[in-house]
Amino acid sequence: MRGLIAGLLLLAALSLAACGEESSAPPGADDGPVRLRVWVHSGQPGERAVIRDQVARFNAAEPGVQVELTVIPEGGYNAQVQAAALAGDLPDVLEFDGPFLYSYAWQGHLRPLDGLLPAAVRDDLLPSLAAQGSWNGRLYAVGAFDSGLGLWGRKSLLEAVGARLPAGPDAAWSATEFAQLLERLAERDSDGAVLDLKLNYTGEWFTYAFSPVLQSAGADLVTRAPPLRAGGVLDSGEAVAALRRVQDWIRAGRVDPNLDDAAFTGGRVALSWAGHWEYPRYRKAVGDDLVLLPLPDFGAGSRTGQGSWNWAITTRCDRPEAAARFLGFLLQPDEVLAMTAANGAVPGTRRAVARSPLYGPAGPLRLFVAQLGENAVPRPRTPAYPVITSAFQKAFQDIRNGLDVEEALRRAAALIDQDIQDNRGYRAVE
Amino acid sequence: MPRPLTDQTPAAWSMAAPAVAGLALFVGLPFLVAFGLAFTSARLGSPLPVEFLGWEQFRRILADPAFLRALANNGLFAMVVVPLQTVLALGLALLLNQPLRGLPLFRTLFFMPVVFPMSLVAVVWVLLYAPGGTGPVNAFLGWLSFGAWSPRDFLHDPAWALPAIMLTSIWQGVGFQMVILLAGLQAIPAERYEAAAIDGAGGWGQFLHVTLPGLRNTLIFVVVVTSILAFRLFDQVRIMTQGGPGEASATVIYAAVRAAFERQQVARGAAMTVVFFLIVLAVTLLQRRLLRQER
Repeated sequence: MRGLIAGLLLLAALSLAACGEESSAPPGADDGPVRLRVWVHSGQPGERAVIRDQVARFNAAEPGVQVELTVIPEGGYNAQVQAAALAGDLPDVLEFDGPFLYSYAWQGHLRPLDGLLPAAVRDDLLPSLAAQGSWNGRLYAVGAFDSGLGLWGRKSLLEAVGARLPAGPDAAWSATEFAQLLERLAERDSDGAVLDLKLNYTGEWFTYAFSPVLQSAGADLVTRAPPLRAGGVLDSGEAVAALRRVQDWIRAGRVDPNLDDAAFTGGRVALSWAGHWEYPRYRKAVGDDLVLLPLPDFGAGSRTGQGSWNWAITTRCDRPEAAARFLGFLLQPDEVLAMTAANGAVPGTRRAVARSPLYGPAGPLRLFVAQLGENAVPRPRTPAYPVITSAFQKAFQDIRNGLDVEEALRRAAALIDQDIQDNRGYRAVE
Repeated sequence: MPRPLTDQTPAAWSMAAPAVAGLALFVGLPFLVAFGLAFTSARLGSPLPVEFLGWEQFRRILADPAFLRALANNGLFAMVVVPLQTVLALGLALLLNQPLRGLPLFRTLFFMPVVFPMSLVAVVWVLLYAPGGTGPVNAFLGWLSFGAWSPRDFLHDPAWALPAIMLTSIWQGVGFQMVILLAGLQAIPAERYEAAAIDGAGGWGQFLHVTLPGLRNTLIFVVVVTSILAFRLFDQVRIMTQGGPGEASATVIYAAVRAAFERQQVARGAAMTVVFFLIVLAVTLLQRRLLRQER
């Protein structure tokens, strides 16, 4: 029965997914270089250029290994990975957004890295990344950078309305103060839209950027300790109240729809709720007028997102030691710094952070490092994450469109809990 | 009716074989797979064993207001778009059937959207529907109404999201039906019009008694094909509204794709497609009964 179903699923996948290229048989020792198929998300143009350079440098330095890069848009990245896994067509090395790790590891697609990566490389990782990359006591993924989420602002516009600029996460604006500030800024704005929430993005952004709002109000996406549950957490009174505030900003016309992704760089808004990856672009657009501030405090302290794209070796890879050498190469301080210079992210290793001009004690992005300690909440570390994020994204879209917040969150919680039940609590399958 | 000299059935089958094999492999087989999966607990990539659940998935989706809304949206979309697009295509075809100067240019212009991929068209229309007074559609309506129109955010407004998608779909698809109807128009012999004119029929009379009967089979073909295309609505929804606001523009195919590939709930997605297939099949059969083609 199982074999039949698996066969049927495979047929379905083959008829749905475009057939990938046939993988060649594993090359012998004297059979030319080892081919490593690597999937990477397309990211910002700067990031793309760096990863291409890195692959070229690695291929030149390691004549025995040939990395072949496939760039995939991040909008439906998880769907692509699932389809490829089903068709037996996963690459050797897979990049993916952090919180999807537990689902992939639970499904048996990833190799533990504990025996593959040298201890020196593993110990160099930031604690937040080591935690994100581990599941069930094993390390499955390593990241070259951690992420930062905050409010980018134009200092001159904020000072013009007498706004106080919080020095750190502890001094963050309260949600009420923030709403008043938006009104004051709007009085001097031509269209009244003064805040950019990156509504032009799709997919994972909405969970990454707005689940901190829940946590800042004392709510969350799901329980963090067993039993795993969304009901009573995601649709709690605190969660509803916090997201109602966000909905109020949108309803009042304070949020720019940002169809062209130029709301901040084009000077239409004073504040942009965005990640570290905007630093290079924003810096170029507004220069010294750029200021980085913590997200508003919805009652239980300012909270922010963390975790980012990271690298893993799939179970389909037949030369894991070569793949591990590629990961080790990406985690060298120089390579980490090259990538973070392009995307403004927090360097993912201790050695690289110590040398980073952006994140040093006087660096412009030190807030991101300060936040990683106390204020950053990892997204739920559970195989249920794909469903959690899908349900929350839908709920956020509905809230953005003016539907009842309580109704939207209750539906999302019910969907998540049904799925947890269907998967028997997502217990590890050994 | 003279009987054929030899039995040509084997020859016919051998010529049909490639198409039949393709249909069986890429339409028949996946449908059978979906039908089988709909009765299980299958999840994409799950290490848990697959169980037989009987009608459970069907019971769940039919009790899900979101799915029922998606079904209703599909029905509404087809009921509005099919007649509107057919009438519009006929109007354009009649216009282009006149001896005009620069006719090839107009024909190309009207047909051009069909050549663009739907995803491209959808992205362009997202920009056209931009909210605020500077959005092209809002600006145009403002100009048309001498400023009485208050700008709307079409794609995020429950009342406007589906109509906005309808407009985009009609704009993109009407050229295709137009070309087919144009071919049909040019196949009507000119003598019939002359005879009708001699009998004293005016322009409207000629249209009613010569053009429409002459176009009967072409129109039936256009209606059936447009209906099937209307039920397949997916790209525009995915790109322009993601099914929102709420479920205002969700469609069954979009809901199924979301369940199967975003949440790995393959069985649920399969159940949705099975229910949908049966409904579309019923509609198509009904159309065939009502609209018998003349031989």
